[in-house]
Order: sequence, then C-alpha cells, then structure tokens
Amino acid sequence: MASNEIIVQNLTKDYPRVRAVDDVSLTVKGDEIFGLLGPNGAGKTTTIRLLLTLIRPTSGRINVLGIDALSQPHKIRQVAGYVPQDVSVDGELTGYENILMYAKLYGLPRRGRREAIDGILDLLELRDRAHDLVRTYSGGMMRRLEIAQALVNRPKLLFLDEPSIGLDPGAKRVIWGLVRKLRAEFGTVVFVNTHDMNEADLLCDRIGILDRGRLVTVGSPAELKATVGGDVLSLDSRSPGFLEHLKALGYRPLAESPAGQAEILVTDGEHLIPHLLESLQARGVEVEGVALERPSLDDVFLKYTGARIEAGDSWKEARRTRRTFRRMVQ
Amino acid sequence: MSVRRYLQGVFTLAEFELRKIRHDTSQIWLRLVQPALWLIIFGTVFSQVRGISSGPLTYRQFMTPGILAQSVMFVAIFYGITVVWERDLGLLNKLLSTPVPRSAIVLGKALSAGVRGVFQAVAVLGIALIIRVRLSLDLQSVLGVFIIIILFGMCFASLSMSLAPIFRTRERMMGIGQAITMPLFFASNAIYPLSLMPGWLRAIAVVNPLSYVVDAMRALLVTGDFSSLGRDLLALLIATTAMIVLASLSFKKILS
Repeated sequence: MASNEIIVQNLTKDYPRVRAVDDVSLTVKGDEIFGLLGPNGAGKTTTIRLLLTLIRPTSGRINVLGIDALSQPHKIRQVAGYVPQDVSVDGELTGYENILMYAKLYGLPRRGRREAIDGILDLLELRDRAHDLVRTYSGGMMRRLEIAQALVNRPKLLFLDEPSIGLDPGAKRVIWGLVRKLRAEFGTVVFVNTHDMNEADLLCDRIGILDRGRLVTVGSPAELKATVGGDVLSLDSRSPGFLEHLKALGYRPLAESPAGQAEILVTDGEHLIPHLLESLQARGVEVEGVALERPSLDDVFLKYTGARIEAGDSWKEARRTRRTFRRMVQ
Repeated sequence: MSVRRYLQGVFTLAEFELRKIRHDTSQIWLRLVQPALWLIIFGTVFSQVRGISSGPLTYRQFMTPGILAQSVMFVAIFYGITVVWERDLGLLNKLLSTPVPRSAIVLGKALSAGVRGVFQAVAVLGIALIIRVRLSLDLQSVLGVFIIIILFGMCFASLSMSLAPIFRTRERMMGIGQAITMPLFFASNAIYPLSLMPGWLRAIAVVNPLSYVVDAMRALLVTGDFSSLGRDLLALLIATTAMIVLASLSFKKILS
C-alpha cells in the first residue's frame, strides 16, 4: 500500500561554508498542513528543495509517499506540486498558457486537458482573466496563478515556500483559505515554509521550528504555546489593598507598577477572568481594566532558539524582486 | 522517461517561446536596427569602395548571408541572458521541479533560441529584399536556411547557457556576449572573404562555426554552388552537438 507520509531521517545538506540542514528527522502525516517555521537562512528552502529532489542530500534518507527520493526522484516530481518563493509564472504568457505549459510538461493527456485547466482556474477564481498576459496581474493574482500552476498535475503533496510573502492581509487570507480547501477536497499533504508567525498559527496543523538548519521542536501551535507557560493577565485597579487581595486569592503578581497594575500568570485566562473579577468584587476591589495576553508563536520561537524572528533585509529583497518583476514587464 | 515524453518536454518549451513572440514582437523589430545599419550603410559604402573582391557577386549579395548569421548569433548568445534572468526570477527553479530531464530543458531552451533566430532572419531577409539585394528564395533554399539557422541558434544559445553558471550575473553575461560575438563576426567570412585575411586570422576563421554557417547560407541564397554544403553542415552539426552536451553538463550548476 502506498504511504501518504513524508518521512525524513537524519537529513543533512552541507554547502562549502555552511551546513544548511543539520540532521533533521520528521514525519508529515497524510492530509496535514505542516509548517516549517524559521527566520531567513534557517534552511527552510533547502529542506523543500531536498524533498522535491531538486538537490541531493549530503546524508540522510527521504521517503515521500512511499517513494525513495534518492533512487526515484522523477517519480516524486511527477506527484509533487511546488510553489517557489520566487516568481514561477511567466509575465510574457497568459494565465491560461502558463498552466497549459506545465500541463504539457507533466504529460497530461490531450483529452480533458482544457477542462482540467479551466477547472483549476475556476477554483482559484482566475477564469475571467485567464487570457490576459500575466504581467497585467496583481501580486495576489500572480500568487493564485502560481498555486494553480502547481495543481495542474493533481499533486498528492504540495510544497509552498512562503506562500503569502509580499501580499496584503486580504490576499493572504484568500491564499490560506485556498490551501485549506485543497486539503479538505483532495486530501493533499501540504508542506509550508514560513517566517510569518501568523501564517504558521492560522494555517498549519503542526509546526516544526527550524533554527540554523536544526529542527528544534515539532508540535501543533496549541501544544507549542502550552510549552511556554500560561496566559498573562494584566489587571488595573486603584482600590486600596488591591495587591494584597490578589495574593489572598492565591495569585502572585509578576510585575507591579505604581499606578496599581498587576500581571499574573494563569492557565485558560479566557474562562478565568469572570470568576476572578467576581471574587475581587466580593472583596470590594474595583477593577478598571483587564488585558489578556496569550503566548504567541514568537514566544515559542524565543524559548527554543533564544532569538526573535525578524523581518530582515532578505525579505524586503524578496518583495522587491516581485515588485521589480511586475514593473519591468509592464 | 519515454522518448515521447522527452521530446514533448523539448517541443513544449519551444512552443511557448513561439507564443511569447506572438504576444510581443517588439524584440524582433528592435534587434532589426543593427543588421539594417550594416546592410544599408556599411553595404552601400563598401559597394562604392570596391575594396573587397566579392567575385561575381555584388557586395551586398556577398554580405547579406553574413549579416543574417550575425543577427541570429546575437539573438542566440543573448538568450543565455534570458536564462539567467529566468533563474533570478525563479522560473528555472520551477521548471526543474517537473519530471522533465535536465537535458530536455537545455535542448528545449536551445530550440527556443533557434525559433527566435528564424523570426529574426525573416525580418532581416525582408530588409535585404526591400533594398533589392538579389537572392534566390525558392522553397528549398529557404527551408535549408531555416534549418541552418535553427541549428546555429541552438549552438550559440547552448554556448551562452554553458557560460551562464560561470559568469552568473546578467551584467557580466551581457559583457561576455559582446566579447564573444564581435570577434567571431570579424574572424569569419561574413563581410569579407577568407582570401583577404592574414594567415593568423584565417586560422581562427576556419575553426569558427560562423564561417561554415555563412558559407552554407551564401551557397543557398546567392551562389547556388553546393560543393561545400555537406562539409558546412557537418561542421555545424558537430559544433551544435558539442555545445548542447556542454550546456547540459553545466546546467546543474546554474542554480547553485
């Protein structure tokens, strides 16, 4: 029986001056959206390129859907879809032609080809612009077309490298919705690279954090956030003896401010707030403001890597490339 | 990977190059300026000078195949820059993620350059006809010329693709393109016969594929003397095959 998993064992890729991927082992299950989260240069793109058999590993094993990557790379390419971080559609061709070209390169039979392409264009809501040159498309449309292009061979697994980079929030949401729809309708295994915490959190079922080529932890966003500790609840109050009452209830404030503010560490803060306010009110404490701060993936990242992900120059660079591309071909 | 799938990969790349030309022909017209200057100005002046013995041919008849070959050479050598540009954008990365073999991609790109070369050649021939250069344009000659142009375009596009991994940036490729094309043009029989050359230059000219291409096209379009056509085609075929093999071998490096 064909497996529907990606199994990576002790994967390492060395370049002359740097170890880009360092002894990574992981399993991605069928119909799961798996995200690899890490800053620029962490080795995410190298990992995708290894899985796609675009480059050969220095050591380690890769098995994709039961196919061994080292001995049968072309079989993996036939069943994989790839949306690279960079531009992958040609501005000098129409949207339809960009997909048709890949339909031919993947050897789709002539019969039913047009219907298949039209179906994909419908799915990505590009049908009405299908016969316009791609250089006239917006950034979000280009990204959708790139996803359409990656779907032409009905891939069993889809690799997305920074799918929403350089897009505005609205366009990002459209892309995420599409990816979820694909998983739901076709059971596609989705492997996403991202440096965007929000994207990792909202889109992925499970996340692996990659730091300087090493996979430091894997888990669902909720599991990972739970490892950082509970929620932080900030309370504002000018009532006399506020802090004492809080302590009497069994809470230990983390930080204090002269204005009468207390931060406490709690679990399940959302459901705790009403009870806590009731208890304080019963003791005659007037609470003026409450803020709940839940741990973010950024905190998780900080815990495991000792650094925060920052949008460095290379990301600006990538966005600039896209803009330049559009400007130059228009 | 069957032969059919392999060839489908090659021809698909060429087909979509054709579609690009159909969407936008401006490149062909822009690249027509230089050959037009050679034919109209250089050709006119040197016809007056009579310094170059072109035998029974008029000087313009003599030089037209040379200018034709030159313009195809430019198209092909700068096609390597397009490949670097496609790499920079990421198009190449995407192309390599398909099951199409690397060598089919190289062959497809080379053929694309050949196809562009044919369109460029048609435009240059148009100018030659407008300024009334007498050429024999029967079906066989024209088909023969097209085949030669496709092979020659593939040869130089492959050369430039094998240089791309070495020079890497578009700017350097632009420079190297000029550093290759102009010397090869002058060290060939494109605008003066080999007999006028000093020995050392003639030694270069006889290993210059451009000389054989010009000789073959001159036979087909002007002289009708096919005695050396076989030799010319063989030389072109060897050079093209060698360049395609070289480009296929170095193509892996273009991405790293």
